[in-house]
Amino acid sequence: MDPRAEFSNHLTRRTFLGQTARGVGGLALGTMLMPELLGAGKAGTERVAGLPGLPHFAPKAKRVLCLFQSGGLSHVDLFDHKPMLKQMAGKDLPPSIKGTQRLTGMTSGQGSYPCTPAIKDGKLCGKNGLWISDLLPHLQTVADELCFIKSLHTEAINHDPAITFLNTGNQQPGYASMGAWASYGLGTENANLPAFVAMVSQGTGKNPGQPVFSRLWGSGFLPSSHQGVGLRPGANPVLYLQNPPTVDGEQRRALLDDLAQLNEERAKEIGDPETITRIKAYEMAFRMQTSVPDLTDISQESRETLAAYGPEVTRPGSYAANCLLARRLLERDVRFVQLFHRGWDQHIALSRQLPNQCRDIDQPTAALIKDLKARGMLEDTLVVFATEFGRTAFSQGGFGNPGAGRDHHGRSFTVWLAGGGVKPGFEFGATDEFGYNIAKDPVHLRDLHATILHCLGIDHERFTFKFRGLNVKLTGVEEAHVVKGVLA
Amino acid sequence: MPPVLRSLAFLALPLSVIAAEEVRYNRDIRPILSENCFSCHGPDEKSRKAKLRLDLPADALKEHKSGIPIVPGDLKKSEVWARITSGDEDDVMPPPKSHLKLSADDKAKVKAWLEQGAKYEDHWAFIPPRRPALPADLRGSPIDAFVDQGLRRSGLKANGEADRATLLRRVSLDLTGLAPSAEELDAFLKDASPDAYEKQVDRLLASPHFGERMALDWLDAARYADTNGFSIDGGRHLWLWRDWVIQAFNDNKPYDRFLLEQLAGDLVPNATDAQLIATGFQRNNMNTHEGGTIPAENLLNYNADRLKTLGEAVLGLTLACAQCHDHKFDPISQKDYYQLYAYFNTLGDAGLDGNGGNNSGPAVAKKTVLRTDEEGRLQARIAALRRTLATRDDAVLAAWIQEQRAWLADRTKGTRLHPINLTKISTPNSGGGFTVEGNTFKGLGGAAYDLLGELPKTTEPIVALRLVFQPKMTPGGKPAPKKGAAKDAKVAAEPPAAPAPVAYQVSAVDVTVDKVPGDQVNIHKLQKFSRVTASSVDAAHPPGNVRAMNARLAWQPDLKAAGDQSLTLTFVKPISAAETPSITTQVYFGTGRPPLQGQLFAVTGHDDGTDLPQDIIALVQTPEGSRTPEQTAQLWDYVARTGEALRRTRVDLANAEERLAALTQPQSTMVMNIAAKPRETFILNRGDYSQPTTKVGPGTPAALPPLPAGAPANRLGLAQWAVMKENPLTARVAVNRLWKTLFGSGLVASAADFGLQGEWPSHPELLDWLAVEFMESGWDFKRLTRTIVTSATYKRGSAASAEMLAQDPANRLLARGARFRLPAELIRDNALRASGLLVPQLGGPSVNPYSPFDLWREVSHYGSTPATAQNFVQDHGDKLYRRSLYTYWKRTAPPANMVAFDAPNREVCTVTRGNTTTPLQALVTLNDVQFAEAARVLAARILGRAGDDEARLRWAFREVVSRDPSDKELAVARRALARERQRYAADPARATAALQVGEAPLAALPAPEHAAWMQVGALLLNLSETVTRN
Repeated sequence: MDPRAEFSNHLTRRTFLGQTARGVGGLALGTMLMPELLGAGKAGTERVAGLPGLPHFAPKAKRVLCLFQSGGLSHVDLFDHKPMLKQMAGKDLPPSIKGTQRLTGMTSGQGSYPCTPAIKDGKLCGKNGLWISDLLPHLQTVADELCFIKSLHTEAINHDPAITFLNTGNQQPGYASMGAWASYGLGTENANLPAFVAMVSQGTGKNPGQPVFSRLWGSGFLPSSHQGVGLRPGANPVLYLQNPPTVDGEQRRALLDDLAQLNEERAKEIGDPETITRIKAYEMAFRMQTSVPDLTDISQESRETLAAYGPEVTRPGSYAANCLLARRLLERDVRFVQLFHRGWDQHIALSRQLPNQCRDIDQPTAALIKDLKARGMLEDTLVVFATEFGRTAFSQGGFGNPGAGRDHHGRSFTVWLAGGGVKPGFEFGATDEFGYNIAKDPVHLRDLHATILHCLGIDHERFTFKFRGLNVKLTGVEEAHVVKGVLA
Repeated sequence: MPPVLRSLAFLALPLSVIAAEEVRYNRDIRPILSENCFSCHGPDEKSRKAKLRLDLPADALKEHKSGIPIVPGDLKKSEVWARITSGDEDDVMPPPKSHLKLSADDKAKVKAWLEQGAKYEDHWAFIPPRRPALPADLRGSPIDAFVDQGLRRSGLKANGEADRATLLRRVSLDLTGLAPSAEELDAFLKDASPDAYEKQVDRLLASPHFGERMALDWLDAARYADTNGFSIDGGRHLWLWRDWVIQAFNDNKPYDRFLLEQLAGDLVPNATDAQLIATGFQRNNMNTHEGGTIPAENLLNYNADRLKTLGEAVLGLTLACAQCHDHKFDPISQKDYYQLYAYFNTLGDAGLDGNGGNNSGPAVAKKTVLRTDEEGRLQARIAALRRTLATRDDAVLAAWIQEQRAWLADRTKGTRLHPINLTKISTPNSGGGFTVEGNTFKGLGGAAYDLLGELPKTTEPIVALRLVFQPKMTPGGKPAPKKGAAKDAKVAAEPPAAPAPVAYQVSAVDVTVDKVPGDQVNIHKLQKFSRVTASSVDAAHPPGNVRAMNARLAWQPDLKAAGDQSLTLTFVKPISAAETPSITTQVYFGTGRPPLQGQLFAVTGHDDGTDLPQDIIALVQTPEGSRTPEQTAQLWDYVARTGEALRRTRVDLANAEERLAALTQPQSTMVMNIAAKPRETFILNRGDYSQPTTKVGPGTPAALPPLPAGAPANRLGLAQWAVMKENPLTARVAVNRLWKTLFGSGLVASAADFGLQGEWPSHPELLDWLAVEFMESGWDFKRLTRTIVTSATYKRGSAASAEMLAQDPANRLLARGARFRLPAELIRDNALRASGLLVPQLGGPSVNPYSPFDLWREVSHYGSTPATAQNFVQDHGDKLYRRSLYTYWKRTAPPANMVAFDAPNREVCTVTRGNTTTPLQALVTLNDVQFAEAARVLAARILGRAGDDEARLRWAFREVVSRDPSDKELAVARRALARERQRYAADPARATAALQVGEAPLAALPAPEHAAWMQVGALLLNLSETVTRN
C-alpha cells in the first residue's frame, strides 16, 4: 500500500472510531454526536471504515463466526470415518502408515500403537452422504449446510503452539489473531459494539480444559483497538461496563455533557484534535452501555428459539448461551465473533469424556446454523468450526482400557465451514484408510486462513502490515493458497 | 513500527524538498530498494533471483545476463531503470505477483539517483557514529541547532516555550511518571530564579520515581512478567531483577554496565549477588512445562526469544529473521544467527521446568538490591500493629462475644440435613475409579472433584452445604498426583498399592446452583459464603482457609478426632430448591491430600457447626465476670487472629511483614549460568530443532565490527562487544529509546529496527551527536536525560497550527512540543496520586489490585495443576494502591485496565507500544473500582481543604491537571457540583450508597456533600488532559 494512503488511513483509524479527528473539530457538541459524521451503517448505527481498497473484491461473507473447539477435537471419532480401524482394532498401526515423524512426549515412548475405531457409529447424512458420528445427532441434521475439509494439517503437535498457530498464523506469540486482522482490514458496520468479540466457555468433557490465552484473540502488532473484546455473563458483560453504585444513565449523561464541554474548551485552547477523538470515544462508551445490555438480553427470544438451542442456553456462559449470543452479535453486524469452547483433549477416558463434550456443542451448533439460515444470514456469514489439531488413530494407553484416549495429531484433521462463500453439503480432501495421513488435497492451516480471508473479499497476499521491516501477513511467510475446491 | 511513523520519513522529505540537494542513497534510495528489490536481489542467497544483488555496488555495477543493472550517470544503459519503467508484465520490476509497486515519487528519486552517479553508501546504522560538526555560532543546546536546521529547510516556524505549568507537568510525567502536586506546582511558579526549571529537573532526576519511570520501558523491552507464559502459565518470581533495574536507573549506573551486567553479570570476575540478579534479563523469556512438549524444541524457542530480545532491545536489529534463513535485508547470515545463539545456548536450563510456582532453573535466593529507608519505619509499624492486635479492646471483644453467642444459640434451631442425590462425579485428569451412589461419592484422588447433584425437594430455604468425609482413606486409595501437567500423559493405571492413611485437606469449595444440571461449577455464578464451619479443626488449618481461594491454605480436620468429619459452608443468600434444583460443587484440594469418600447434604434451618475451637466456645459461654484474666487474654488473642473487626489491621500487618521480608530476606530469582556440560550449537536447517547441520561456536555478525581484543568466547565477550565504542548500534538504540520516552516517537521511528528496513532518522546528526555524547560521558544516563529535557526543542509548546498539521502531522520535524496519551500505568498511577491513595513504595513482590472478574480462572488450569496464578485473588490494604508497574502481570490474562490502554501482554519484546483511543478506555476511567474509588477519595481530599467552592475547585484543577481552570471551566464545574448537590440532598441514602466503592476507609463527611464532590472528582479524572502528557 502507498505509505501516504496508509498514513492518512492510519490517522483516521488509529482510534476505535475510525474517522478523522480533525473532521469534527469544529463540531458543536450536543448531548450526542451526529452519527452521520461517522458514515452510515445500519439504521441507527455508525460504521468504522476499514483499510482503503478493502475488500479487494466482492466478498461472499460479510462476517465470520468461528466456533473454536479448543484442545484438539477427535476427527477419528466424529467426522473422518475409517472402517479399517474397526478391522484392525487393537492391532498395531502399520509402520508404513505411522511413519517416522515425531510424536508428542506423551506417546513417543509407547510400546505399541493399537488402532482404535471411533467410539460410536455414525451415519451418512444429508443429500451428499457426509459421515457424522451419532455423538452429534443434531449436527447430522444440518449436514447439507456443512463443507468439510478433511485434509487439514499443521506442524504443531502440542497445544500452546498449535492453538496459537491456528488463531494467529504463527506458532510463536506476538502475532495478530484472525479476528483482529478482520477488524483491521474491514472495520465494522456497527461502531456501538466491538468489531471482534470473543467468548470462552468450559466444556464438560474435561474440566478444566487446556488453558487458553488472551493472545488467541489479541491484536499482536496491530493497534490494540482491534483485539477481541471479551463478552461474558453477569453485571459486566463487557469489562467495566457497569456504572459505579447508584450512578444511572441520566446522571452519567449529565457528567459526560460536562466532560465534553470541558474537553472541547480545552481542545480549542491548545489545538488538540486527539481530545475530540476522545470525546467521541466517551460517547461511544455511553452508547455501548445501552447496546451491550440490549445485546445480552435474551428475554425477547421466542420459546421455540430457546428450545432449539437446548437446555443449556439458559445457563450463562455455556457454549449454548454463547451460540445464541453469537447470533445476536452477528445480527448486529459484528464483524468477527469467536467462541472458544474448552475441554477437547481426550488423552484419557475418551469413551467417558467425548460424549459429554459432544453434548455441549451438538444441539447449540446445529441450532445456530439453522437459526442463521432461517434469518437469511447464513448466506453472508462464514462459519468456521475449527480445532488446533486432530487426534491419533491409535490409542494412548492400552487398547480397550476405559481409561485410554488419543494423543494429539497434527498430520491430518477435520474442520468444517458453512455459509457465505463455501459449498454446502460438501467434503474436500481425504486421509488414508486410517485417518492418519493425508491421501488427497492437503490443506495447510495457512490455506485455511487464506480461504477465510478470500470469503471476506481479501487477497491474503495483499493484506499486510509492516512490522519489524516485514510485510507481515496472516498467512505468514510461506506460500499459502486459497482452497478453491471449497468455494461456492 | 506503526506505519504512521514509517511513512513520515517519506512525507518529511518528498522529492520536491530534496530536489534542491543531492539524492542520498541511505536516506532516499535504500528504503525504496529494500522495500521493493532486496528480498530477491539482496543478502538472502536462497531466495536470490538471477544471481543479482542490488544491495552491493560490486554486483549491481557489473555485467549480468540481461545487461548492466546500474550504470552510474547513464539512465538509458541502466537495466534497472528499463525494468522499473517497463510496460511489459514479464519484464517489469518488481514483478506484479509480488504486489509491490514503485510510486511515481519513488521512480523520480531512483531516476535522480542514477543520473547523479548512483553513489552507494554503507548503511548508516552500521557505521559507528561520529561527533558531527556544530554550527560555529552555536547558542543554546546543540540539540536545538540540529532541529532548527531541519525546520529551516522545511520553512515551518517553531512554537515558543510552553507555559511554566505545562512544562513542570511535562517534565514531571516524563521523568517520574507522576504529575506535580498543586503545592509543587505553586512552588515552581513562585520561583523566579533563572534556573528554576533546571532545579526542578535535578529534583526529578534525584527522585526514586525516576527509576520506576525509566524501568517501565525497559520492562516492556525485556518482556518482564510474573508468569511463565506458555500453556498453563504458572507463576514465577523475577521481581528481584525488576527491582535491580529500578535501582540501576536511580543509581545512574552507566548504561554500558547496565547492559553488561544484565547480559553477563554472572561471568564478571568476582560477580556480586547484584550482578547475578541482573542476569534475570535473559530469563524473562516465556517457558513451559506443558506435558508432551519436546524439551529440545522448547529450548530452541527460549534461545530464539533471547536473540530476538537482544536484537530489538539492545542492537536495533531484527535478528529473529535469520533463524530460518539468511536475513533478507540485513547482512546477518543464518550462521551469524547461530553464532550469537551459541552464546546463550550454554545455559543450564531445562526444556520442561517451572511448575508449582517454583522458578525454572537456574535460580538462586538472594536479597534485593533495592535500597530504601523503610526498614526502621517498617519495624516500628509492625510493632505498632502487633500492639494494636495485642491490646484488648473491650468493646470489640464484647460485640464479638455477643455475635458468637447468637450464632451458638441459633446453632440447634431447626437444623435439618437433607441428602443431596449425586448424579455425577468427574475430575479433569483421571480416567476412572470414580463413583457416586445416593449422596455418597468415591474418588481415587486428583486435585479436585466436581460433583453434580439434585437438591432435595424441600420448600425451606437451604442455608448451607455440608460436606461429610469418611475418617480414613479408602484402602487402595492414593494421594493426589503432584506432578502437574505431566500427568496429562498418564492414563489411569492399575489401582496403586495401599498407602498408610493420611489426613486429608480441603483448600477451596465452589458451588453453583442452576435450573439445569451442569457437570462443572459456573465461574460466573459462584455462591458466596458467609461462614465456614467444621466438625473438627487442626489448629494450623482452620475452616476459614477454604474461603481464601489459595491452593496453599486449607482446612484439615483434627487428626485426633474420631469418626466422620464435616465442613459446612453457609451461603450469603439462602437457596431455593424449587427455583434452582441443580447443584454443582467443586471440592479442591490444592496442594493438600484428597479425602477419598464423602457425602453431600443440604442444610436447612441453621448450621449446627461452629468454626470456634472447643475451648473458645467454653470461654464464650462463660458468663461475664467469671473469666480469669488468662481466659480473657486467650479469648482476645482469638479475636485478634480471626475477628472481622481487626481484619484490616491483620492485612496491614501481613503486608508490612511481607514488605520487610522482601527487603531483608533472600528471595528466589532466575539467573543465567553456564551449564556443567554446555549444549553444543548447530546451524538448524529452516530453524528446526530437529535438523541440525553445521556445528558453530560463539561469534558476532561478520558485517559488524569484530569482538574487542581479548574478549572471552562467552556471554561476557558478547556483552563487551555490545557496549564497546566501536559498536555502531548500541548507543544509538539507547538514546533513541530515551528520545521516544520523552517525545513519544524516536528520532528513528522504527526503534526496534535500525536495519535496512528501518527508518531513516528524522535527524541523523542529532542522533549521532547524542550517541557520541552519551558514550563519551561514560554512558551517563541521567546526564543524557538532563541534556534533552533542558533543550528548547523539548520545552516547546505543543499547540498544533493548521499549517503544522498539514505539513507535518506527526511532528517529525519537532516544530512543536510532543503531546501523547500517557502509558496505561501512568493513567492509573496519577489517579491514585491525585486522590492521595498512592502508596509510593518501590519494588517488592507484584500485587493484585482490583479486577472486575476472575479473568485468570476463565482461561487457566485451575483445579488441575499445582501451578500458581491459576485463579485471581485480590490483595488488600496498601497493595491496592501501588504503582502500576508492580501489578502482577499474568501473560495469558494481563490486567484488563492496563490492556485497555495498549499495555502489552509481555509475551515478547515490545519496544513501541500502540497509542489508541477507544470506548473501552472511557469505561475503565469512569467505572473501574480503582478509578471510582480514587474519585471518592479525591473528593474527601478536596473537602479537607479550607476555602469556598471556587478555591477548592481551583486547587483540584491544579492537583489533577497542573493548572488553574479558566472562568468557563470553573462555571462548568460549579454547575456540575450544584446539580450533584441537589441530587444527593434530595436522596441522602443514594449518596451513602454512591460512596460504597473501594476498600479505602470512608472519610467522616456528610454523605451528600461527599458524593457530589465525588462526581466532580470523576469529572476531573476523566478529562482528556488528565490522561495526556502535553
